[in-house]
Amino acid sequence: MEEINCAHSWTIVRVQTGFIITENCSQCNKTSTYFCSEDYPPLEEHREGDHYWNVMETAQSIQFDLECDRCHTIVTFKELAGLMLCTGCDEICKVEKIREKLEKDHVWIYVACGFLPIDEVELLSQEKISILEDYFNKRRKSSKSKIKIISYEMVNNLKNCYGEIIKDVGMLNLKPTELL
Amino acid sequence: MKLQELINKIALKVLTVVEDKDITGVFISDMLSDVMSSAQSGNLWVTVQSHKNIISAANLIDISAIIVTHNKDVPKDTIELANRYKVVILSSPLTTFELASKLLESGIK
Repeated sequence: MEEINCAHSWTIVRVQTGFIITENCSQCNKTSTYFCSEDYPPLEEHREGDHYWNVMETAQSIQFDLECDRCHTIVTFKELAGLMLCTGCDEICKVEKIREKLEKDHVWIYVACGFLPIDEVELLSQEKISILEDYFNKRRKSSKSKIKIISYEMVNNLKNCYGEIIKDVGMLNLKPTELL
Repeated sequence: MKLQELINKIALKVLTVVEDKDITGVFISDMLSDVMSSAQSGNLWVTVQSHKNIISAANLIDISAIIVTHNKDVPKDTIELANRYKVVILSSPLTTFELASKLLESGIK
């Protein structure tokens, strides 16, 4: 994936706007999320196998790749749903323990959130998380603080997590046409 | 230009603790995803958004300050979170367009 011996300098490229769609199954209560770049994704209740999916939320977001300015290696982040700032809400959460340790040194913890259900989707690799962290820290230039990015696999309870995810809800959210 | 100099120059209302920083430019958008993809470190971010997840976006990019226009109310929890992460929030009664004009006049590009 990467050119060996290149001290990468990453630039964000191929930014694609779209929506993070959050659905819930009315039969088994499972939650599913996915990124959709279509202008009109399905918003009505729909059946998929044994699941009856209902849209709970739509939020405008982006997907992007990173390209190295030096060796032109491209790293895709299709597994990434968004970045979430950990503000500390659960004492037993592994992310919280890291936050508690690093925040006093002005290292802010962001969680790289993938899609749901977590056991059915492709997860962002640690290598990609490191690249993402490197990119955003270099973008901060002369900042006195830095960020650390951690996988959402370390979050104790995603459903109850109070972290602030970077997404746009309510600005350009979609409604089924019959509700307009 | 430094942030404190700009605050004095165009009479912005300060809502949080101010850490004086160099301003590198201006970014105008009400979409957090835009900030994440396109804003630069040290930019002033001009927006009407005031929900606390603006802190998440501003902090990621290390914005020099968020200026909330149209005198939009900024909730207490947003201000608390901003102070915790040393994100400066300023307020202006001007529209976004008027504020952008003022910023240009003040020499910010």
